Amino acid sequence: MAGDIIETIIELQDAWKIYKMGEVEVPALRGVTVEIKKGDFVAIMGASGSGKSTMMNLIGCLDLPSRGSIYLKSQDISKLSESDLASLRGKTIGFIFQQYNLIQSMSAFENVMLPLEFLEYDEKKAANRTREILKLVGLSDKMQYRPTQLSGGQQQRVSIARSLASDPEIVLADEPTGALDSVTGREVLDMLKSLWKEQGKTIIMVTHDLNLAKYAHTIIELKDGEILRISENHEVKDPVFKYGD
Amino acid sequence: MKLGKCFKHAFNMVLHSKLRSWLTITGIVIGVAAVIAIVSIGDGMQQSLNAQLNALGGDIVTISPGFERGGGFFQMRGGGDGGGSSGPQATTKEIVLGRSDVQALKGIPDIALIDTNIRGSVDVSYLGKKGRISITGVDQSVWSQITTSKIKTGRMLDSADQNVIVIGGRLASSYFDQPLGINKMTMINGSAFRVVGILDDQSNSIYMPIQMAYQVIPEKTNGIYDTLVVKIKDENFLDEVITKIQDKLMIARHVTQKNMDFSVSSRKEMQQARADTMSSMNTFLLAIAAVSLIVGSIGIANTMFTSVLEKTKEIGIMKAVGARNRDILLIFLFNAAFIGLVGGILGIILGTILSGFMPVLMGGLPLARGTAIVTLNSITMALSVSVTVGIIAGIIPAYQASKLKPVDALRYE
Repeated sequence: MAGDIIETIIELQDAWKIYKMGEVEVPALRGVTVEIKKGDFVAIMGASGSGKSTMMNLIGCLDLPSRGSIYLKSQDISKLSESDLASLRGKTIGFIFQQYNLIQSMSAFENVMLPLEFLEYDEKKAANRTREILKLVGLSDKMQYRPTQLSGGQQQRVSIARSLASDPEIVLADEPTGALDSVTGREVLDMLKSLWKEQGKTIIMVTHDLNLAKYAHTIIELKDGEILRISENHEVKDPVFKYGD
Repeated sequence: MKLGKCFKHAFNMVLHSKLRSWLTITGIVIGVAAVIAIVSIGDGMQQSLNAQLNALGGDIVTISPGFERGGGFFQMRGGGDGGGSSGPQATTKEIVLGRSDVQALKGIPDIALIDTNIRGSVDVSYLGKKGRISITGVDQSVWSQITTSKIKTGRMLDSADQNVIVIGGRLASSYFDQPLGINKMTMINGSAFRVVGILDDQSNSIYMPIQMAYQVIPEKTNGIYDTLVVKIKDENFLDEVITKIQDKLMIARHVTQKNMDFSVSSRKEMQQARADTMSSMNTFLLAIAAVSLIVGSIGIANTMFTSVLEKTKEIGIMKAVGARNRDILLIFLFNAAFIGLVGGILGIILGTILSGFMPVLMGGLPLARGTAIVTLNSITMALSVSVTVGIIAGIIPAYQASKLKPVDALRYE
């Protein structure tokens, strides 16, 4: 894809998020403007309270800004109906959460298939896709296991498989290794890296850990709800994405 | 999400909160079972009433002196000598039915048979044991064809009979120290009577030829009747014949609608009155059962609210992976409807079992005789009501769940 026109996939324009605590208004995000390019590996960094979770919620279309606009694939998300936004989110963004957020009453297979059911995939196609993805994350033998029967690392792999089920362009990972030991954490990061490198996914990772951020190509640092700096990690070079080179 | 999938997820939700779901279902089961039992008993009573009506003969009409006004029954009596000025009803003698009335009735071609009755209480003794018993004097030539009583042993009264009686089942078996059987002699007001028949019932009554009854009941005068019992030819014309009888008797007795001094009633009318009483009792019981169904539905609403609260995080996850508001709404609505449906089905089963026992439990009540009948109608009704109740109870919680913002739901612990 070298030499392609680099397309913006998500854009925040003067995005504010203000929470009301009784009478007091607490701004969590103060006029953030940023463009995330298709095919980039972005780390959003910051201490707790810096507004990175808020930013992730806005990027993931889980929340709407109090002021300003967010464009997902050039569409203003505040102008979409709830149902259109849900479908767009389901198709375009895959979520990986720190606490995996798997549905406990469902097997690994059912958890991974869930997004496809909401997108009304054909039953057979959905089942095949689910098997394929679970194989990809190395869980073919544990498809019928419940989350409680799986280790943390395995659960996170189910969660990664779920995020990939609908073949989204963006994978949004919120502290993906936060609950894992360092070895398992590295495995998960390697998996994200290969998704970026081999499948050309846009990876957006929220973390407070500088060591993790090193995996990313673009690092956005937040402080007190504002962007402190955006830097490019030139150590991360890859044949697919040439942004900034 | 497709409807089938929504239902699958709803079903899983029920399965994964077994205890709570079952407790909620129990509430609905009780409500539906109560409704089914009461409706089926109602239907059963209705059917046994209809059967009784047919057995009793819808073709029997009874004429008695006096007239029922505003619910009270007045045996009107004359105002005494010289009362001619006090109004049209004033007569000089007691209002009675007599031979002229029978003659008038004979002029109506729709009437098949006329039985003349008198009644009174007399002293009856058998083997030294004495008692005061009500006797009925009947026209023995027609009585056997008009009466709805069945004979158990012996025979009915015959035209040639004189000093013979037919007695009720209880009088025969247990009234006296010794059973009073066929061909036994008993003393009635000093005259000896022979028992020729015993009725298949539980009464203490005695039937005898009317001419004999005039002799043993001292206050009765020959030719004066207490009631006339008429059998009509075609019961489909019952109402028309009643009108004809009234018209004919009014002319014969020189009275008008205003001062009518007799009343004409049919078994059908009496049964109708009984049916009305029963139906209002049924409605009352049904209202009580409905209350328990309402309580059950509040249980569903409560469970659903708890369920939404408990599943808030899951709702957030589902929304993050692409669930629309509609999907969440349907999953929770189906969950509630499913609880209602299962409750309904189990309620019908329990209600059917209960309704089998009800006639036994209510055996003492004369209105509750007969068997309970569970109709397809009441099953359909119970199922649709329980599912509807489930859905109505689930609407607000499901709507609340569907409106959760994904970011808030995900943050919920």
